Amino acid sequence: MSCRELERLFVAGAAEAQIAAHRAGCSECDRAGREVDEAASWTHDLKAPLWSPALRASLLEIPRLTVSCEGADALLARAVEGEVAASDQSRLEKHLSRCAACTEAAGTLFAMRDLTAPVPPPWLATRLAAARPPARTASWRRIFSGRAVVAYAYAAAMAVMLLGLNPTAVARKAGFARLSESTRVAVTVAQNSIGDRLGALQERAFRELEVWKGRVTGYGRAAVSNALAIVWRPEKKGSTRPRLGKEGGTGAPSDEFLAADLFRRELLTLRFRV
Amino acid sequence: MSTTEDTELVARCRKGDDDAWRALVDRFGPRVYAIAYHFTLRREDAEELSQEIFLKVFENFDRYDGGFPLVAWILSVSRNLCIDRYRRRKREKSFRFVSDDAVAPLLKSEDDPSSLALKSERTRLLFSALAEIPEDLAEILVLRDLNGLSYEEVGRILEVPEGTVKSRLFRARAEVARKVRERHEKKSAPSALASVAVAAAGFV
Repeated sequence: MSCRELERLFVAGAAEAQIAAHRAGCSECDRAGREVDEAASWTHDLKAPLWSPALRASLLEIPRLTVSCEGADALLARAVEGEVAASDQSRLEKHLSRCAACTEAAGTLFAMRDLTAPVPPPWLATRLAAARPPARTASWRRIFSGRAVVAYAYAAAMAVMLLGLNPTAVARKAGFARLSESTRVAVTVAQNSIGDRLGALQERAFRELEVWKGRVTGYGRAAVSNALAIVWRPEKKGSTRPRLGKEGGTGAPSDEFLAADLFRRELLTLRFRV
Repeated sequence: MSTTEDTELVARCRKGDDDAWRALVDRFGPRVYAIAYHFTLRREDAEELSQEIFLKVFENFDRYDGGFPLVAWILSVSRNLCIDRYRRRKREKSFRFVSDDAVAPLLKSEDDPSSLALKSERTRLLFSALAEIPEDLAEILVLRDLNGLSYEEVGRILEVPEGTVKSRLFRARAEVARKVRERHEKKSAPSALASVAVAAAGFV
């Protein structure tokens, strides 16, 4: 059929009069129209086939034969635990026989249940034992340990120096005059060891008050941080930290090391006396 | 029935309400069976297909969102089932040569015998022609002309615009008419040849 006007009018939902007008002027469309009308009329004469009562009865039974996909989810969750009643089991099986998506879900669930525990490699136990963290020292013991006492004294001396005072004199006034000469040496060493940095700061502090405050705060924080680091640093067995008199293998220990060692020993002794 | 009522009916079915399921079966069962019969032209196959369709509907209730009429949703869910069955049936020789028994359930019994014979012949021709046209045209004719679904419903079932439905329907009718005419001409040709032969024999 070369003329598509009749089809166009039909698709556009044109009025009967418009279609008739075109068919009157187009023999090709008129013939096609008559055939189409006839084919349509054949279908209009037919009746709907009747369904049987048996079919209706079987359709009513469907809820007892199968479950929906959402119902299958709940039943599957119970089926994995083996807690599904026999009637539900058959409904679930019927559904799974028809639904590929739920069958795949069921396969995954049951595969997870059937998984066995993996066997650990033989070296794992040894490695785990070696990797066990060292027992932590009780907090109160760390606070009063010898290392902590050294840190406290160190921080106190620095605080005193920051105030522009002589730590030794302050210690004497504060009742620590019993400290031996080694204490004085130790404090002096401590003063000297940090004094390289603090000395210049101390001088500038008198000249530039604002700068002095800022620096003091910075060094104070650093000092506290250092003290805390000394207190809280965990003990290590077989530590490679250089010990007094043996650091670097350079021969005789330096004066600073000797002084610090003396200071530490004195403080420890003091603690035990107290 | 509005889509709101459809949605409520489906919600009750999902909760396991037997009365709701019975209402749904009674409402849509005859129409689903009719469509199944038009696709298969065999009672046993149509019943089996109807059961398949309702099983699928029951299992997929959670997918119905009330977006369009329930009948259209039921048929869209079961469309693949119908098409599969239609293709399987189409491969059988009996599908192209439709029997009187196959069309008998579609004829109105109040017709007189001669008129009934004529309608039976016409209906056999119609379904034979349907088997020969492309399936996208055939399914539109089944849904619209044989089952009276609206253009909108057919469009929703087939997921095409209404204009496409109308266009395909026009072509489907034209194709069926052409096929019927061809069959009619084939039938009349041997008798014409026979009369020529008789005439020739008489002449001789």
